[in-house]
Amino acid sequence: MNETTSTKPSSSKTSRSRAAKWTRRGFIGAGALAGGALIVGVAVRSGNPVGKLKPIVAGGDDEALINSWVKIDADNLVTAIVPHCEMGQGANSTIAQMLADEMDVNWENVRVMDAPADGNYVSQHAARLFVGPGTLPDRPNQVGFMEPTYDGLFTQLGKLAGAYITGGSSSVRSTGQNGMRIAGAAAREMLVAAAAKEWGVPASEIKTQNARLTHAGSGRSEPYSAFAEAAAQQELPRAPKIKQVSEYRLMGTPAPRKDIPSKVDGSAIFGIDGGPDSDDLRYAAVKAAPVVGAQIASMDASTAKGMGGVLQILNMGDFVAVVADSYWQAQQALGTIKTAYTETENDTVSTAKMFAGFSAALDEAGDTGGNSKAEYGDPIDALGGAAIAVEAEYKVPFLAHATMEPMNCTAWVRGGKCDIWTSTQVPLMARDGAAEGAGVNADDVTMHPVFLGGGFGRRLTPEYSNQAARLAKAAGYPIKMIWSREEDTAQDFYRPADISRFKGGLDENGKAVCWNNVHCTEDEPAEAPLIEFYDIPNVSVRNADVEMPVRLGAWRSVAHSQHGFFVESFVDELAHAAGQDPFEFRSAHLANSPRHLAVLEGAAKMAGWGDALPEGHGRGIALVRSFNSIVAEVAQVDMTGNKPRVVKMFCCVDAGFAMNPDGLAAQMESGIIYGLTAAMYDEITLKDGKVEQSNFHDYQMMRMDDAPEISVQIINGAPDNIGGAGEPGLPPAAAAVANAIFAANGTRIRELPIAKHFA
Amino acid sequence: MGSNNLKRIFLYAVIGASALGLTACGASSPDPVEQIIVSEPGQTPPPVLAAIEADPAAAGAADFAACAACHTVESGPGSGVVSGVVSGVGPNLFGVVGRKAGSVDGFAYSDAMRASGLTWDAASLDAFLADPAATVAGTTMTTGAIADADRRSAVIAYLSSLSE
Repeated sequence: MNETTSTKPSSSKTSRSRAAKWTRRGFIGAGALAGGALIVGVAVRSGNPVGKLKPIVAGGDDEALINSWVKIDADNLVTAIVPHCEMGQGANSTIAQMLADEMDVNWENVRVMDAPADGNYVSQHAARLFVGPGTLPDRPNQVGFMEPTYDGLFTQLGKLAGAYITGGSSSVRSTGQNGMRIAGAAAREMLVAAAAKEWGVPASEIKTQNARLTHAGSGRSEPYSAFAEAAAQQELPRAPKIKQVSEYRLMGTPAPRKDIPSKVDGSAIFGIDGGPDSDDLRYAAVKAAPVVGAQIASMDASTAKGMGGVLQILNMGDFVAVVADSYWQAQQALGTIKTAYTETENDTVSTAKMFAGFSAALDEAGDTGGNSKAEYGDPIDALGGAAIAVEAEYKVPFLAHATMEPMNCTAWVRGGKCDIWTSTQVPLMARDGAAEGAGVNADDVTMHPVFLGGGFGRRLTPEYSNQAARLAKAAGYPIKMIWSREEDTAQDFYRPADISRFKGGLDENGKAVCWNNVHCTEDEPAEAPLIEFYDIPNVSVRNADVEMPVRLGAWRSVAHSQHGFFVESFVDELAHAAGQDPFEFRSAHLANSPRHLAVLEGAAKMAGWGDALPEGHGRGIALVRSFNSIVAEVAQVDMTGNKPRVVKMFCCVDAGFAMNPDGLAAQMESGIIYGLTAAMYDEITLKDGKVEQSNFHDYQMMRMDDAPEISVQIINGAPDNIGGAGEPGLPPAAAAVANAIFAANGTRIRELPIAKHFA
Repeated sequence: MGSNNLKRIFLYAVIGASALGLTACGASSPDPVEQIIVSEPGQTPPPVLAAIEADPAAAGAADFAACAACHTVESGPGSGVVSGVVSGVGPNLFGVVGRKAGSVDGFAYSDAMRASGLTWDAASLDAFLADPAATVAGTTMTTGAIADADRRSAVIAYLSSLSE
């Protein structure tokens, strides 16, 4: 929920509460506010005073605030202050649920607030997850995969970065599981200690429930707010007791999200809505050079100058902008500007040439060359001895993110200060980008939290807040800059295109004996192309270095989006070559992966795998583990028309433990729709250095009439090792559909999007 | 493993003076290469439809936009009562001022509206638009009330201007 305030942070000097010793779970700090509210946090940067934060977060002006992740007000409302963005995924509400459960607060008394974009709110646990596994203190939330590095650069940058990030399906399983729960548990213990002291009774006799403290023996009962100030004086618990699954009251329940009311009644403020209350606010339309690396050579704005509402026309070097009284006027005028661009080596870039380069690189890598990602056994030898050999090549295009809310930023630069309203998944990076654009210090930039109209990894870049800040500085008044859909499509950071080649072998019993794969993309996350959960003894997975002179970015589920399709299509081809049912074939290879098997069986059962289907219909299955969650999907397609129709999708997910089952199911549905949209319809192609697609007529979205019915089943297979929700629903979707099409009529789709085969 | 979304950002952070390297060239906060100032924000009058306020029927046309979600205002081949234009969610309102309530042919009025006995004029429309359910208890017009008195009279002026 947005609790955006228009008050600027004041530089108040606050006294600091005594620092507690580092615990294995981090440094827990607490303080009280004037008026008796309690705030508790888990330090993410030890030794960093946060005097500046308290006025923003809590409004009081004395006493110490270390890092605040939860506060209790005098009216007994408990606010979770969450360092993640709300982009429709509901993580902030779920994190608040986790905090509230540990604190024994009823859901009605809980509020959610976006943490200020200040370095002190770094989600250290999220950063650790990105930096490397095995560094989380004593929590079993670890993943045993290789940390990818670019010569250790990544590790270094990860440590330095202000990692206020929302991405990687990590908010609940890192910040929630390892941060907020501890803060909640600590707050509860401190409140109990305060009440015990006041009432002169043992702490063990005090019960906490629904934000109240009760001592049955003496019949006393008080709300938390009565003890908030006293609680702050208590000794900080070294290792607060957090709940076992059997004690969960809110965790694991479909508690209604806190952002629902404002999104239903229309009061929700998204980035595109945000801005100052100023009569001087004006609107900017922009167009950057379409070819990567090109600059504006010249601009002819003679028509635009005379158009209604136009205030300024700017050539910023890398983009042209029109500032006008209304967005429509700005965009209309921008359309009349004739721009010439500088020449660059990227002027001849085309997807056709890039794919030719991929093929050449794969030819050169052959069966053993390229960068090794996994090697065990001897796949070359094993293939030589295999009873049946199978070979296949798959191809996927560049993809755009196509968030419904286009890139936008409202900036106001004056007197050495800058205010920014923008939808971003990385407020600190956006802040730094704005600071650079406005020519001010990062500390003088105020980021106003807003809801995001979709992120999907697009909003992990700061270039649009930099643009808006530069415009606002040059123009001299607040500017709301909105990219048109055409600009958004042309200036995306795309999901990489890829070609992946496979050679596999089966023995005379139809068991896979070898797997040799080479592809062209970087592997992020590293485990995306790996198949160690399948019982295949001789494996080589490699990638070849290729040229991709295109802006690349993280697209929902990142490399899992293409490798899910590649791997699960080839597994399916192996199954059919073995003459086996694809579900049976996979099951036979999951003897050492019981959680994977349970998920696969769950999906097959839901879908009625094996039951008769109408003529021309088919079922396909796919299984992918990503972001620590295992998902299997069965697609049911109808091939009787002139193009494929996905009728139903059945999804079984094991995310360790569903903190909010409604939220988890919603994210599976969301991942499926997003993944199928791309798999069925979309590709980004380049010619003469420019992206050819521009709007939803040539970059189609799945809509209600062509969306499948989706069913989701949840398995809680590992409550101590929870996985993510935002991305894992996507990777199996494309393969499930391609496999279903094969089952229906024998057509094997090896190149996406599917629609190009049915034009 | 947790996604390397972060890694991707930092990859760009490294490529030439931050991800901005792909857009900005060189020094931070460079001045525009060219800046054409046509006018300042204070100079241009704020976009108020001043001309329309002088003509209430025209203002009412703008205010009617909300009503157009359900109501058409099209003249048809017939007379005011039988307009010949198919209504939508709400009845066609062309010629409604001076018309008996509940009389447009082909529209499924509530019994309450048909039995209301009203003939629409400025006063009855004003009461109805202020609170439809109170004026005609049982009406199917459950939304569309106009709280602001000036806007109501503008809409009524607009509707009055629509007649053959």
